[in-house]
Amino acid sequence: MSRLLRVELTRLLCRRAVLVILVVAVAIPTVIGVATVLNTRPPAASQLAYAEEQAAEESQRKVYQRQFEQCLENPENFIGDQVPDDVRTACELSALPQPDWYVYYDELDLAAEDEQSGLAVVIVVAILMMLIGTTFAGHDWASGSVSNQLLFEPRRPLVWAAKAGVVAGLTGLFAGFVFTVYWLGLGVVASSRDLPVGDGILLDGLQSGWRGAGVAAAAALAGYALTMLFRSTVAALGVLLAASVAGGVVLAVIGIGSVWNPGLNIGAVILDGAKYWAEVPCTGGIEFEGQQCSVEKTLPIGRALWYLGTGLVLFAAASLASFHRRDVP
Amino acid sequence: MSDLVIETTGLRKEFRSLRGEVRVAVQGLDLAVPAGGVHGFLGPNGSGKTTTIRMLLGLARPTRGTMRLFGQAVPERLPQVIGRVGAVVESPKFSPNFTGRRNLMLLAGAIGAPASRVDEAIETVKLAGREKDRYKAYSLGMKQRLAIAATLIKEPDLLILDEPTNGLDPAGIREIRETIRDLGASGVTVLLSSHILAEVQQVCTSATIIGNGRLLASGTVDELLGIGTSYRVVVPDPAVAGQVLARAGFEPATIDGRLHVEAGDPAELTRVLGEAGIWLTELSPLRADLESYFLQLTEAEQLGHDAAADSEAVA
Repeated sequence: MSRLLRVELTRLLCRRAVLVILVVAVAIPTVIGVATVLNTRPPAASQLAYAEEQAAEESQRKVYQRQFEQCLENPENFIGDQVPDDVRTACELSALPQPDWYVYYDELDLAAEDEQSGLAVVIVVAILMMLIGTTFAGHDWASGSVSNQLLFEPRRPLVWAAKAGVVAGLTGLFAGFVFTVYWLGLGVVASSRDLPVGDGILLDGLQSGWRGAGVAAAAALAGYALTMLFRSTVAALGVLLAASVAGGVVLAVIGIGSVWNPGLNIGAVILDGAKYWAEVPCTGGIEFEGQQCSVEKTLPIGRALWYLGTGLVLFAAASLASFHRRDVP
Repeated sequence: MSDLVIETTGLRKEFRSLRGEVRVAVQGLDLAVPAGGVHGFLGPNGSGKTTTIRMLLGLARPTRGTMRLFGQAVPERLPQVIGRVGAVVESPKFSPNFTGRRNLMLLAGAIGAPASRVDEAIETVKLAGREKDRYKAYSLGMKQRLAIAATLIKEPDLLILDEPTNGLDPAGIREIRETIRDLGASGVTVLLSSHILAEVQQVCTSATIIGNGRLLASGTVDELLGIGTSYRVVVPDPAVAGQVLARAGFEPATIDGRLHVEAGDPAELTRVLGEAGIWLTELSPLRADLESYFLQLTEAEQLGHDAAADSEAVA
């Protein structure tokens, strides 16, 4: 088996299309990471000086001066019940324009990035890894080299498993490496900006990245299994595209709850649980009897793993059985 | 232990269309290929040659029947014998963007064959110097040679070649035929599938002829052609010679002024004529043409097939 794994790994890495996809899978997270870092960078000294100048200038306008005077007279209307001793400073902060009004930037928040750029990176890389799975298997069928390979190793389940193992292993490791570098990079940037990275915030990001690597490997395996089943990259991609575009719509039309939406389940695996809205019978009064109310629920990662894992196992079993039984052209 | 390298009994393969229509590609084929030499597997296009080969190699499943390679039941025991079998089925099939050598290295890797064996195979098929070109840049002849090189990596005892000279130019055809002859002479059993009669006649020592998925004839090429049983005799006086031969128990016939005589041993002919004081100016075997024989067999089979189809239609 190790011999076959080595051969299949060489075959995979020698494919130009696979190498191009791997390069793209590094480039896109790099672009997203750089954009995130740039969009959250602190303002430059010149920008701060300009903002202070603007604030000072605006503060001289009558409307703000009037507000400031009203604040001094009735501070509780502006500041609240707990009026501090230094009322003047409090009213300056509350009633007059401040420099940060004129500087627009979002601070880098690693906890929020988990559901934003982190999730986007995982999804993009997972799609690319799926392409690797489909193109790897599809090329073998298109060139007809599967039959040649079987003349050297006729145990078809072994051949299927070796290819699957290499696809899942390589894509999982590669995606894990990309996501680790991504989160460590964000962590370094946050540290350099004296932003909080402790209390497990960075670890949370890394863990969602590693779960994402598992999703990417599973996506590659699913792409591979479907292509081995249909014996065509185009057919496999067509089915996957149709499922992703129409799947959610079909589920909604036939009245299947969003908890069965594959996208939601993938999100739940990556983010360690996901929120969704469910229709349940209303409670709390006779006037709501018989009506449906939307309630926010949490889809736990365990259930999402079970759902997606079952689907993947079924796909893989169908693919393996087909490869084992059907004639090879 | 059987000395047959390939043996099939009652082999049948049906293909079913999505509409449920059944097409029988091979029907009850009994094939026996003895060890050693080059065995021709002859039949017109669509006669079931490739399907039979694909079943033997585990690429297609038989509907019925049994198959053996080196005495081992296949496909059950195929993993145990595949290392002794090299095969080119239909056209060569390799990854187009890999070099010829890389393609061979990947196949060699699957069986743990050393790189030196790949280089030897490349040398044998005269691809040295072009092995680092991409496969898609190869000519058809080079692709065929690479496919044969792939079979040699295993150092096989049995080589199955399915129409290996298809699409080659005359020089390429000659090269491939020489390679096949050399391999046969070196002790490798070669099963050469072909619809080119001259090729089988030139290269093979024995042959099996099939038509419509059925066995039509099998034996050595000499047996199939009946070589050595009929001779043309040229003598100064054919009439006298004919009488002498008739008295000796032969059945001579005069065609175009020459005697044609059926004889098991040509020495017996010369002895009888010599003792009568008749000296031969020519004694040559009447070579039956394999093409005529083949056409005679396959046309008869086709007529039978059509008749059966008609009677089924009437019924």
